[in-house]
Amino acid sequence: MNRNDNDDTSNASDSGQPGVTSQHKDSLPENYKKYIKRRESTVIASEEAVISREKLATAREEAAHVRENAADLREQTATSREEAAHQRETKAASRENAAHLREGNASSREDAAHLREGDANSREEAANQREGEASSMIYEAETIQAASDDHVTMLQQANAHLVIATIEAQKLAEQVQMAKDQLDHLAHHDALTDLPNRMLLQDRLKQAIELARRQGRQLAVMFMDLDRFKHINDSLGHPVGDQLLQSVAQRLLACVRHSDTISRQGGDEFVLLLSFIEHAEDAALSAQKMLASISQPHHIEGHELHINVSIGISIYPDDGRDAETLIKCADTAMYHAKESGRNNYKFFEQGMNDRAVQRQSIEADLRGALERQEFVLYYQPKINLHSGAIVGVEALIRWRHPERGLILPTQFVSIAEDCGLILPIGRWVLREACLQARIWQQAELPQITVAVNTSALEFRDKDFLANIRATLVETCLEPIHLELELTESLLMQDAESSDSVLHALSDMGIKLAIDDFGTGYSSLSYLRQFPIDTLKIDQSFVNDMTSNADDATIVSAVISMGKSLNKQVIAEGVETSEQSAFLLALHCDEGQGCYFGCAMTAEALTSLLKTGVLLSFTD
Amino acid sequence: MVFCMEKSDLLRHQIINNLMAQRTEKVADAAIIIWEQMATQIILIIGQGGFNSLYERSLFLTQSTFPWLSANSTASPTGQWFADLKKCFEGQSPAQACEANSLLLITFTDILASLIGEQLTTSILRSSWGNSALVGPGKEFKNE
Repeated sequence: MNRNDNDDTSNASDSGQPGVTSQHKDSLPENYKKYIKRRESTVIASEEAVISREKLATAREEAAHVRENAADLREQTATSREEAAHQRETKAASRENAAHLREGNASSREDAAHLREGDANSREEAANQREGEASSMIYEAETIQAASDDHVTMLQQANAHLVIATIEAQKLAEQVQMAKDQLDHLAHHDALTDLPNRMLLQDRLKQAIELARRQGRQLAVMFMDLDRFKHINDSLGHPVGDQLLQSVAQRLLACVRHSDTISRQGGDEFVLLLSFIEHAEDAALSAQKMLASISQPHHIEGHELHINVSIGISIYPDDGRDAETLIKCADTAMYHAKESGRNNYKFFEQGMNDRAVQRQSIEADLRGALERQEFVLYYQPKINLHSGAIVGVEALIRWRHPERGLILPTQFVSIAEDCGLILPIGRWVLREACLQARIWQQAELPQITVAVNTSALEFRDKDFLANIRATLVETCLEPIHLELELTESLLMQDAESSDSVLHALSDMGIKLAIDDFGTGYSSLSYLRQFPIDTLKIDQSFVNDMTSNADDATIVSAVISMGKSLNKQVIAEGVETSEQSAFLLALHCDEGQGCYFGCAMTAEALTSLLKTGVLLSFTD
Repeated sequence: MVFCMEKSDLLRHQIINNLMAQRTEKVADAAIIIWEQMATQIILIIGQGGFNSLYERSLFLTQSTFPWLSANSTASPTGQWFADLKKCFEGQSPAQACEANSLLLITFTDILASLIGEQLTTSILRSSWGNSALVGPGKEFKNE
């Protein structure tokens, strides 16, 4: 528009100038000049105006630009404002929507609030419920805690009981095992000495034999039996005897190697197994060592005891190839050692078996001899040295063996003692002797005393006194016509016990005599104390008294002592008139021996009693 | 120096020997502390009665080696057991006391292990004796 304005202005100026120009040509100098000057001024002014107008145009252009810019801006602004308006509209719409939403929301919130209120109520109720539950739970927790404590306590107690029960079970199991071990030990060892017993020895011997067989070696079995151990046992009592056995066991153990076995077979018998020997002489050396060791004094309960041992030796494989044979051979050899004087050793020899077999045979036959009535009594008269009258008889047993003939007691009494038959045999002898004495009395023959030998086993038997009483009653023999002959060693084995039995016998009226007087050990004080009627001087002194001054002195002393103690004295084994005369000179009361009459049958003695004549006194 | 280590591959035995080897002075006092620590843990599990039974049995078995370990008060409370034990130890040389206590502990724990197992027993000993029960690391594997 401004440009159009300027254009209008220029057009107006241009339309005035042609007139001026034409005037100039007409009024030329002054007018014209003035005109020109005016025109120039006008031009100049026009020019200036143009310039101004140009400036103005420029300004107006600039302004236009500015205005354009402003317009642009305004447009932009308008656009922006439009956009803003749109936005505001949108926003307003949004706000409306939002308002709607908010309204909805508010409604929702109201609903929610209502719900929350309801919820809160519910929660309150729940809270109340939970409080109640919590209280219950606390109570339950406390209950559980208490129960838990109780539970722990109970667990402790249960554990304690389990531990105690288990340990008690362990103790019991241990005790059972110990008992088993002890039983096993007892089954294989001797209770007194704790040495291996017969069973264990058998086992070890079998093993040793097997080993020796495989290795081609020798072994030795030694059978040992203490000499006269029974005397100690009976005289000093079993406790002392037991201690002596223990002492002997210790000595034997000290003599052998660890690999050897020393066992107790029972009683006073021991068996040693030398499981390996180079030579038989090795066994001999061992035997010598043991003999020396055992013979050393044993100090027991204040007693100094002396004991010896007899040893029999058998060698594998020479004497036997099994345990039983070897022990049997050693046993046989041991008996030979005994027979050879005791306190020594003997190796087994085959010849020994014959005697052992004979001994075995006798033992077997003895067992039936009583039933078969093979025993018989012989009677040897006892003579009054002054009158020559028969004052008594000694009953002596004989065995009428169907094959061997008449066997003397020395051949079978020891065997009978070993196998326990001595008791029934002794009772038979007593009864037979009493019956015979009664027969003689009833035949109105001279009144004599019948003497019966009594062994230690019988004397110590618990039924001994009762049996004598019963026999006397049964046979109707007055006790005064019965005499029992006992040995010194028997009486001294257990003096106190002997004293009691002797007084019982004496009180019954039975006469008592000490047999074989002088060969054993007697205590003079006991001799005075015991109710002994007669001392029988052993025949070993009588045999040589006429030629041996010592024997004569002993016989004289015994006679004097007997007289002093008011006892009868009788000499045994009188075989000659010199002996008879000598005894008479020493004031001996009575005599017994083949000089006056050997042992004879009852019938023979009956005849003798009837005639009253002795051969020795008919000369 | 008191020396009572006994060769054993068992970790528990090593713990005990190691423990006793650390006590070179006042062996009797140290021994009782060891017992009290162990007793506390064990009584929690097997009760006083169980402990007494175990202890009595252990003492009985150990007496065959150390007859001077006498039990004066049978079925007595733990304190009395330990008072008696202490008197016994005080009457002996430290080496003897140490050796006897090691054997007594080993016997006790041997029985316990036979009842509840090796692993649990060793665990209880560690709880009882703490760091004192530690042995060389290489030895741990021997019980695995």
